[in-house]
Amino acid sequence: MFSRRQAFLFGYNKKRRFIARELKKEAVRLILVVDDESSYNQAKEDGFREVILMDLTDDEKLEKLEIKDDDYLVCVMTDHYMNVFLTLSLHAIFPKAIILALSDSPHTTQKLKMAGASRIIDLYQVSANRIHNMLHKPVTTKLIERLFSPQEEFSFKEIEIPKGSSLNHIMVDDFDVTEHKVILIGMIDKRLSNQFIFATSGLENRFDVGDTLVCVGYNEDLDAFEEFIKS
Amino acid sequence: MLQKLLIKFAFFLNNSKSYKATKELFTNYLKNQDYIYKKYFDVFMISLIIVSITILVYEVKHYVPPWLDFFDIYVVTFIFMVEYLARVWVHNSWHREVVKEYSDAKFLNKEFRLWLPTKKIILGKLGYIVSPTAIIDLLAILPAYRPLRVLRIFVLFRVFKLLRYTKSINQFLGVLGSKKFELYTLLFLLVFITVTAGIAIYVFEEKSNDSINSLFDALYWALITISTVGYGDISPKTPEGRVVSMFVIVTGIAMISFVTSVIVSSFSEKLTELKENRLVEEINKEEDFMIICGYGQMTRMFLRYYEQEYAKRYIIIEKEKDRVEEAIKEGYRAIQEDASRYDVIDKFNTDYAQVTLLALTNSDVANIYITLNAKAISREIRVISRASSERIAKKSRIAGADSVVMPSLIANRMLFAAITQPIMYKAFYAILIGQHLAQLDEVNSLYHQKMVGKSIKELELKEQKLLSIGYESGESREFIFNPSQEYIIEEGDILLLMGRQVSIEHFKERYKEVLYV
Repeated sequence: MFSRRQAFLFGYNKKRRFIARELKKEAVRLILVVDDESSYNQAKEDGFREVILMDLTDDEKLEKLEIKDDDYLVCVMTDHYMNVFLTLSLHAIFPKAIILALSDSPHTTQKLKMAGASRIIDLYQVSANRIHNMLHKPVTTKLIERLFSPQEEFSFKEIEIPKGSSLNHIMVDDFDVTEHKVILIGMIDKRLSNQFIFATSGLENRFDVGDTLVCVGYNEDLDAFEEFIKS
Repeated sequence: MLQKLLIKFAFFLNNSKSYKATKELFTNYLKNQDYIYKKYFDVFMISLIIVSITILVYEVKHYVPPWLDFFDIYVVTFIFMVEYLARVWVHNSWHREVVKEYSDAKFLNKEFRLWLPTKKIILGKLGYIVSPTAIIDLLAILPAYRPLRVLRIFVLFRVFKLLRYTKSINQFLGVLGSKKFELYTLLFLLVFITVTAGIAIYVFEEKSNDSINSLFDALYWALITISTVGYGDISPKTPEGRVVSMFVIVTGIAMISFVTSVIVSSFSEKLTELKENRLVEEINKEEDFMIICGYGQMTRMFLRYYEQEYAKRYIIIEKEKDRVEEAIKEGYRAIQEDASRYDVIDKFNTDYAQVTLLALTNSDVANIYITLNAKAISREIRVISRASSERIAKKSRIAGADSVVMPSLIANRMLFAAITQPIMYKAFYAILIGQHLAQLDEVNSLYHQKMVGKSIKELELKEQKLLSIGYESGESREFIFNPSQEYIIEEGDILLLMGRQVSIEHFKERYKEVLYV
């Protein structure tokens, strides 16, 4: 699915159990970092092996965590003051790491942005968007809900074109993806830029080694398509 | 024999769809405040009354052309008469009462007496006829009778008739009505002091004051003085009379201040209620609107982004006074009410408007109760409820919620996607907020009839730089993901397309054709 990475989840509670559980299923090394004993015990009870109990305000202890440049640092502390402070500390210590944070208001979002979070998910903003979409684009909303649901039979897949792939040097327009029963949403054409290009943007793109394709389809069709690309 | 015929006639009326529809239409225009077209009828009647009064007043001193007179005598009066008769007609239903009584009698094996329901209906109609508003309506017809000039005084009743159509006057009277006890007490006091002072001045000055020749003169003086108007046509001459005057003047000032304070306090007490009622009345005139229950972070967020889109078509119902004040301060339309109460939701126009209710309070229990309440009032209300967990979401769906929003779950899934599939996350986030070169949009075949009968291949999506993601079947409402190119679009299908906005717009324009059902 994607190269094996580490994800550090700062904060653990009932509401965040889902991310921890789902990440555990993926090829991600998940390390939970908590600052109170009850969360620590709860995480252990829930079956997580790598749980660290430490003072999150102590930079020296944070530095000792084995965080690499491309690791994901997910800040989901219940206390939002602490969440912003932790984001700031992590950004100062590990400037290249990708920091994801959860917010509950535009003010906190702004502070998290200033503190150095790479991606911020505002709990209520995404919910407000969801309600709006439910009212105006109900079919789209249903689809997105199903796509984001890990239990669903169809989903997304990001597939990198490996060396020796039969797709190498083929123009996107000349390749019929529908034959493989998947939908090509877009790709990252490394030759042009590192930006995501939608399949419907009208630009003439070429598949090259190292490009990443984003496809939607039934899981078995996606797996078969991945096999085809890698063949 | 006659009874049988009348029963048959009552059943005929009861089963007649056209009769029912006609009566309902008249009832809606005359009585139903929630009916969206009633306002047009009200405006028409108000205009007619104003025109009629203008003609009648103008006629007092000026020449009025015969056609205008004709218009006032025949057209206006005819419309008033029809309106009056229609109001008597829609007040109650004879056939319904007869059918009910007859069915009950049959069920209980009792003898059916036609005069019983008939008497009930006649009494009901008579009760209406002698009600103040019906009397005003009837008297408003009289000024049309020109030979008897005295009847023209009834033009006043045409002015009174305006009361029926102007809510602000009714509201004013309603506010005064709430202080009935205080106002009656003051009126009694006024009458008492006026009569006492009148008698006193009559006794003291009848012989020495040329202006006071009768008790009526004395009472007239007392009333003019106590009201602080003081024309000066009658003034006391004796020291005793002047003492009475001083007493009456002081009492008059005190009473006017008291009346003013009673009216002002009753208005300040009712002001919030009046404002809130006005908000509800305004929203009830819309064909589709949204009721948002609870003013918390999620409501704030929703309105921050989408308030403009809903303009005046939304209302917030919040139980806590502080939160309501906060919402109003931020410029939102909010009222302080408990959305879980039946009467609160029931006062919205759920019969004629398309209503969406968002249950967004912080409490799961409250949201479920609000959902049940809304669905108990009308199954047609579309409810989107907030839930904190999957278990609560399940209960919300059982309660009747059409959709459930779980902020925590949405955020979790987005976080999960951002970690495991970052490219896809970015792409779909962009699609969702419509800020990118690609959008997801729905094309409903009911409004784009030219698509019907064509296969997806024939729609030439690739040529138009569009992607078909799937469709929702018009028949089963099931979502079919990535359909085959050979699938033929059926009536009611909703096609889900991805592409640039310009491509989607072009596609919609190309296949636009509305099916009138």
